[in-house]
Amino acid sequence: MTGILNARRAPNRVRSVRGRTVSWGTVAQLAVYAAVCAGIFVLPVGLDDFMLNKVARYLVLAMLAMALSLSWGYAGILNLGQALSFGLGSYCMAMTLKLRTVPVHTGPEGLPDFMVWNNVQQLPWFWVPFHSTAFALAAGILIPAGLAMLLGWFMFRGRVTGVYTAIITLATMVVVNLLIIDQQRYTGGFNGITDLAQLTLFGVEFDAYASTTYYLVASCLTACLFLALAFTKSKAGLILQAVRDHEERVRYFGYDVAYYKIAALTVSAAIAGLAGMLYTVVMEFASPTFLGVQLSLSVVIWCAVGGRNSLLGATLGAMLVAGMQGMLSESETFLETWTLVMGAMFVLVVLFLPKGLAGLVEMAANRLLDRRPLPTVAPPPPPAIAGTGEKEAA
Amino acid sequence: MTPHLELHDVSVSFNGFLAVNGLNLAVGRGELRCLIGPNGAGKTTALDLICGKVKPTGGAIMLGSRSLNRLEEHEIARAGVGRKFQVPSVFRELSVRENLEVAYCKTTDVLHNVLRFGRRAESDGLEKLAELVGLEDQLDRQAGYLSHGQTQWLEIALLLAQNAELILMDEPTAGMTALETHKTAELFNRLKGRHTLIVVEHDMGFIKEIGDVISVMHQGRLLAEGTVHEIEEHPEVRRAYLGSGGISHA
Repeated sequence: MTGILNARRAPNRVRSVRGRTVSWGTVAQLAVYAAVCAGIFVLPVGLDDFMLNKVARYLVLAMLAMALSLSWGYAGILNLGQALSFGLGSYCMAMTLKLRTVPVHTGPEGLPDFMVWNNVQQLPWFWVPFHSTAFALAAGILIPAGLAMLLGWFMFRGRVTGVYTAIITLATMVVVNLLIIDQQRYTGGFNGITDLAQLTLFGVEFDAYASTTYYLVASCLTACLFLALAFTKSKAGLILQAVRDHEERVRYFGYDVAYYKIAALTVSAAIAGLAGMLYTVVMEFASPTFLGVQLSLSVVIWCAVGGRNSLLGATLGAMLVAGMQGMLSESETFLETWTLVMGAMFVLVVLFLPKGLAGLVEMAANRLLDRRPLPTVAPPPPPAIAGTGEKEAA
Repeated sequence: MTPHLELHDVSVSFNGFLAVNGLNLAVGRGELRCLIGPNGAGKTTALDLICGKVKPTGGAIMLGSRSLNRLEEHEIARAGVGRKFQVPSVFRELSVRENLEVAYCKTTDVLHNVLRFGRRAESDGLEKLAELVGLEDQLDRQAGYLSHGQTQWLEIALLLAQNAELILMDEPTAGMTALETHKTAELFNRLKGRHTLIVVEHDMGFIKEIGDVISVMHQGRLLAEGTVHEIEEHPEVRRAYLGSGGISHA
């Protein structure tokens, strides 16, 4: 079967590129990914500033969903605390942008405004390095990645799997969320960090409502999408899929499963951290809701609707669902009932499209390309435990 | 000469039940050893102990001069032990080719594998392997759709791709037709000498085809060891396992 969106099956026709064989499926997949990314770059033509900002926001959320598809769809790690990485990235960006408002608002030796209101006398030590934008950009990726690595180390070395992984990641996120709300003096608490300066990189100013910001987000999404695709296409990606399928078995081939899972979780967190930083630029503030339970669980739903086994599926799923949420909640007809409409859609997808919309596209593509009937039978059930019944003696 | 694998007084207890109780076993390099015994004798547990799935509560497990007691499963696998499970364990969501690629594990390091793309010359060898076990037409099929016999063959092929020095086979012919069983016997006879094999089996006909030395386990310990003929004549083995009719009626 030739998978277009879904990379898991190798087709039978291969061709050679510089000594390596590349399957036609991979070529087709790359083409589809490139086409979608090109579409994202063309999209802003004809959009007003308000819509541009809105679509940029959806693109950022799509990045977050894509990061989850990497850990959940490919490695089987259901990270319910995906928004933790996202929120940390967002706060890193907000901190550096906030410090750039200081000389304007409260004098060169002053403090961010909310600290002044909270009677803080001196800039806390962990704020100081954020005077450097370069530091903040690195921290926005490395802090979430480092935290995920640490958490992964404890979980996967201890062979915590399945639902327990989900609970631990969710709980960790809630703890950090509460800490941020609680430490209002240093974090802005419930209000988050608002009233930020605009990000300036290499002399380019990124106004949230300008096309520069849109293209920044689109470039980051494209880069991350192809980076993640490369990761899944590598041998490590294949081993992660094997881990998702049958974790125990992989160990007996000599792979240290824990390190593979840590790698997947870390890469996923790094992408989510970058998405978080962009979110601050697009939204012009950081808030504890960015690492809240509601957002984190929404990401899981976006992934499921789009197809968690497909990076592009999760990306488009997030844009579609988040976009629909936006449209429905603003339209007069569905003002009261839009949550019901969304709920019905999720139920339908879970019931009839276990692989999400990407699974649907894949099925259609298989029909068109292969003209081979899909196997209608389910995989045979695992055979009975052989040792218990003796075989007929020869 | 030191044996390739040596179990010395190995015991393991599950909540007080001694599944393996002072087991002694020595297998020479390149030997094919059959392990038989009635249900519950501890055969599968013995294999679990060797591959690290179960940790011994007493005794020593030596692979050559190296102790396996404290190693984790993946370290034991890297030391050169491969395992085929009783319930065929393959990656059902991956294609046959991908299954073989995973099993072909020359490099197990994460960072190294993140930078490895595409299928290179090494995959030719994997295709030959698929041919050897009759799966060459199924390379792009999802392993979950294979028949039971084909799944058994695939797991055997995975072990060949892994190319471990010591291969542990737990009921490799379970669920195979007589013809498939015969083909498996032929393959095992070819592997003899190049690999050390320990085969747990119930099918005495199969054992007669492949076995040189047979070890009989009973109640967690070694009951007897010898050639097919010696085992058949062994009075205690007859009583514990084979029944009065001898090996042909087992």
